[in-house]
Amino acid sequence: MENKDVKKLGELSKEYMQFETPEVFTWCGDCGNYGIQNALKRALALEGLGRQDVVFCYDVGCNGNGSDKIEGYTIHGLHGRVLSLAAGCKLANTKQKVIAAAGDGATFSEGPQHLIHAVRNNYPMVFIFHNNENYGLTTGQASALSPCGSHRNGTPGEVTIPPLNPLQFVLSLGATFVARAFSGEVSNLTEVLRDAINHDGFAFVEVLQACPTYNKETPDEWYAARVKDVRELANYDRADIWQARKLVEDVGDDFYLGILYEDKNRVSFMGTQKYRDGVSTELVEEVKHYDISEFLKDL
Amino acid sequence: MSRISLKIIGQSGAGLLSVGEIVTQALVEMGFDVVADREYPSLIKGGHSCFVIDFSKEDIFALCGNVDVMVAIDKPSMEAYYKDLKDGGIFIHGYERQFGIKKILEDMEARGCKTVYVPTRETAISVGGNILMQNIVLVGMLWKVLGFDYKFVQEQVEKKFASKPKLLELDLRCLKAGFDAVSEMLEIETPEKGEKKILIDGNHAIALGAVHCGVRAFYAYPMSPSSSILSHLANMASKTKMLVKQAEDEMTAVQMAIGSMYMGTRAFTATSGGGFDLMTESLSLAGIIENPLVIVVAQRPGPGTGLPTWTLQGDLNIAMYSGHGEFPRVVIGVSEPTDCFELIQHAFNLAEVYQTPVILLTEKVICESKYTVERFKQNSIKIERGLVEGDDLLNLKGEDRYSVSSNGVSQRWMPGSSEAYYFANGDEHWERGELTEDAEKAKAMQEKRMKKVGLIKDALPEPIVYGEKDADISFIGWGSSKNVMNDVVLEAAKQGVKVNYLHYSYVMPLKEEAAIKFFKENKKVCLIENNFTGQFGNFIEAETGLKFADRLLKYDGRPFFVNDVLNFIHGK
Ligand SMILES: Cc1ncc(C[n+]2csc(CCOP(=O)(O)OP(=O)(O)O)c2C)c(N)n1
Repeated sequence: MENKDVKKLGELSKEYMQFETPEVFTWCGDCGNYGIQNALKRALALEGLGRQDVVFCYDVGCNGNGSDKIEGYTIHGLHGRVLSLAAGCKLANTKQKVIAAAGDGATFSEGPQHLIHAVRNNYPMVFIFHNNENYGLTTGQASALSPCGSHRNGTPGEVTIPPLNPLQFVLSLGATFVARAFSGEVSNLTEVLRDAINHDGFAFVEVLQACPTYNKETPDEWYAARVKDVRELANYDRADIWQARKLVEDVGDDFYLGILYEDKNRVSFMGTQKYRDGVSTELVEEVKHYDISEFLKDL
Repeated sequence: MSRISLKIIGQSGAGLLSVGEIVTQALVEMGFDVVADREYPSLIKGGHSCFVIDFSKEDIFALCGNVDVMVAIDKPSMEAYYKDLKDGGIFIHGYERQFGIKKILEDMEARGCKTVYVPTRETAISVGGNILMQNIVLVGMLWKVLGFDYKFVQEQVEKKFASKPKLLELDLRCLKAGFDAVSEMLEIETPEKGEKKILIDGNHAIALGAVHCGVRAFYAYPMSPSSSILSHLANMASKTKMLVKQAEDEMTAVQMAIGSMYMGTRAFTATSGGGFDLMTESLSLAGIIENPLVIVVAQRPGPGTGLPTWTLQGDLNIAMYSGHGEFPRVVIGVSEPTDCFELIQHAFNLAEVYQTPVILLTEKVICESKYTVERFKQNSIKIERGLVEGDDLLNLKGEDRYSVSSNGVSQRWMPGSSEAYYFANGDEHWERGELTEDAEKAKAMQEKRMKKVGLIKDALPEPIVYGEKDADISFIGWGSSKNVMNDVVLEAAKQGVKVNYLHYSYVMPLKEEAAIKFFKENKKVCLIENNFTGQFGNFIEAETGLKFADRLLKYDGRPFFVNDVLNFIHGK
């Protein structure tokens, strides 16, 4: 985060504080969710978005237990289904910013079809993908992203089935915005979220998230030693899908953070619904009796 | 004769549809009341298929099940269906190799049926047409046999081929050749021309009702027999501007509907039993977050894939009891297109005012059969949203959203419309939606939600009794049973038997007082239900402690025919 933004944030305490909760947090002490929530509030404040401008959609999981810990309009749905729920919200009223959150269990086991189609339809919303490489809320079972050799509740011995590569998968689907961040680097995450909020399309933001209770293999320090800023890479062009694909396929020691890919040309979902061209109202504003005489005439 | 039943049989995709459509439309133009059902296998081409058309100058709602006139297009379908023709009926066909159907023709003769034969392919070719036009020759033959004015059927053929003038000329020649080749055989009472009714199927009526009552988004995954709702809405979208979206699966469709309703528009989804199974977790979510939700469930026989293109009332139990936990819901059953058009509108009002899921059950026989009904009345059902709007938005507190001191229905407003925000929380929550596991609060919140059951029950209209008092035999039912019972009441009266019928449009919450009263006032009350276990009957018995005198059940994929009920009444 640039210095001027940190300074600006200092002046935006009211804008930031409006999202602050009176409820008691139920996350573990060092949970990555604090950092993610913090960055989200910062990004909203910096973007000048208030509680009436945003709808937060939460999946079920540790991340979802944040659904009443951020003040604003939220909906806390079912496990694995948040992207469909969020799409339904967004399409009804595109004036509202829609921010959805789900874990790796939800996204890559319970409901991957929703991810595939949210990307394909390019629903304009932010998706914060909480990747703690396990099922936090159900006490640390393996997810499809748990690395081989990791120890997970309910898996005999160690995890032996290779994990999926989430960014490779999402890029292969034709995503228009793909970013990676780390819950321990709040400033960087804030910047990524601000860009995601301003993206007109489906913005996939993977957040590498420490889970101090159930993911002992990769604590904060482990990530901290490995994350790098993609902007440090010479000649990296975030409009170049091949560079992005190569970067996420190289699963070496380094995790590059930042916006890895962005396609600014593709229109988002509503723009593809040609039969609504020229309609300037939102679906929520259109509920009234519709005269069906012209259809009855044909019967 | 006043009531006639036609059955047109042929292979799926062999021109059967055109015959059915031309004849049906011509009858409607003449002012007849029509019920037309298409029976077909779950295939695109091939397999036997048939079109059943009942018509009368009086109002009719169901098929009688007794075929007066059968029109056969090919041999395999003759073999499959010839027994359906009643003794003494008329059999029209054009199958040239008569020896190949000798057995069928002998059986016809033995049963006193009259066979009307013209070599239809030869005839079509002799007037310059091709063999595919044999079906139009058959239409001509049928129309003459019925004894009707040629111009009505001519008009329909002209309409059908208006865009293909060359074909039209040949088709008209075939029609005339068929018409001239046979003689009139029936004397059918024709209706006086009143205001022309519309001919429409149930799914089309649901689509129109939804458009009319301000629905702005539809999300669905195709599944027979619900799929044509998606087609109808998509076909109208360029005018209505309704968002019509085929979702990746049923869970998505219902989640999108919940999301859009949460934001404050009107949205719904439609599916059949199997797809509804996939939606039920979401049903329960809508229950706890008190979100309006409307799901149309178009029933076909299960279990499993079952009989995808046939009919049943087999999914009442899942409509009433599916979804984990306990929450209020409304279950409605439609019967014919007018009902479809109106009840979908009421479904939205109930879902929005009481902030809870509403399941609208329809059946294959309603979805895809065409019925003549009065032109739909517009603006007769007010749109009721139950939303806080205008200046009242300024005085809200987040706690108002799920306030337990309300009568059960707390205030609901569009996200973003007020400074007072709230959490729509699928976890148990307290008044502004904040999570709670406190025993007292959990109890109070559950009681708050369940209070709505009583409120809804009081608000629902009373079930209606059809037929007279002092009936010799009485029935209770729901859904398409109303159609057949309406016809049965009239037909039975002609036979000197008094029948009446109590119809539940709103199945849950149950207005059990009406059933209790009906049992008191009638000496023999039976159940009529198109399933194996008598799901509605069991529900009524459980809620009232009463016992049906007898149960008329049917579960072979076919709807109740008028004759099924008459036979039951006569103890056959
Ligand atoms: C249909 C269904 N299946 C299972 C669960 C139990 N469940 C709750 S959260 C969760 C997994 C959580 O893992 P993840 O999505 O990675 O989120 P995290 O808790 O790690 O943030 C599961 C399996 C559920 N709520 N619903």
